[in-house]
Amino acid sequence: MSVSLWRTVRNAYRVGLKRYAWQVATLGDAKSGDFVGQDDFGNKFYETKNPEEIHLRTRWVEYQQWGMDMSQVQPGWHWWLAYGTNTPPNKLSPEQISERAYPVPKVHKLNLTGTPGAYVPYNTAKPKCEAWTPQVARR
Amino acid sequence: MSFVIKNALQKVPLRSTSLTVRKAISPAALIQYRQNSSSRAAQLTPHKLPTNDPLVSQIEPSNALDYVLTSLDAAANWARKSSFWPVTFGLACCAVEMMHVSTPRYDQDRLGIIFRASPRQSDIMIVAGTLTNKMAPALRQVYDQMPEPRWVISMGSCANGGGYYHYSYSVVRGCDRIVPVDVYVPGCPPTAEALMYGVFQLQKKMMKTRITRLWWRK
Repeated sequence: MSVSLWRTVRNAYRVGLKRYAWQVATLGDAKSGDFVGQDDFGNKFYETKNPEEIHLRTRWVEYQQWGMDMSQVQPGWHWWLAYGTNTPPNKLSPEQISERAYPVPKVHKLNLTGTPGAYVPYNTAKPKCEAWTPQVARR
Repeated sequence: MSFVIKNALQKVPLRSTSLTVRKAISPAALIQYRQNSSSRAAQLTPHKLPTNDPLVSQIEPSNALDYVLTSLDAAANWARKSSFWPVTFGLACCAVEMMHVSTPRYDQDRLGIIFRASPRQSDIMIVAGTLTNKMAPALRQVYDQMPEPRWVISMGSCANGGGYYHYSYSVVRGCDRIVPVDVYVPGCPPTAEALMYGVFQLQKKMMKTRITRLWWRK
């Protein structure tokens, strides 16, 4: 039994009233567990070892700000969050960290759709129709 | 009473007077602008153009009535985004991923997404898969049967721009040639997570709709 009144009360008591309110507003559940790490955006990642928790609901992110978006989660943490690996990015040994050929930004780029930074495609092909400038012939 | 309110509000400068309609910048000019800007970081990061109009989400309420209407809009938009009813409509393999969203692992029901059997009861159309020339009139008819307000999600490369079948003789090169599209979900096919992310993006877009505010402007 993973969702019970006792579990909710217990987890709310463990995390405190303020964080419980934040969890209800963002996760819709009361969760308590061990702090695993923090990504470049400031989101906090947690994991619980409690066997009573539902399968694949033992890792979660607590977003740093309201208006959360999955692209705010750093890609390595996203991989860990989706159970792709058991080693979180901050526990990787130096030889496991991949080197990039480009300068890695301090904060990874978010999805800017719906903002002024949104991706705008453009056509590189020559247009098939061209604007016509009318010219009046002399009579 | 309403006449009095309307008269009183006419004295307050409305937002439409402060907004100036400017000419939209062409993509070529945008590229030119970015090439001329000083650093590479300036080219990549969002920046303000002199000709940019504010986005709908960036327009701030300017008077008391605007604040009231904003709250009304928020309530109506919340209702709309929380009862997100797509029409049951699958064209190709993307539809399988769309089905995955409805199954327990992703569980669309918790988001209020219910597939409806009739376009007349639906709000959203998810164009999932290749749109062929033969199917295009049917797609348009289904879209026309949907009541307003309606939204379209284009799912996968084929629906976005023809994709793998772009050069085929029988395929529409993007469903935006047939219906207006709100969200494009890339992928071939997009994963169920990607489709859900597209749904969230559309919900964000719905929350920015200015229903009563636009009605008041009119």
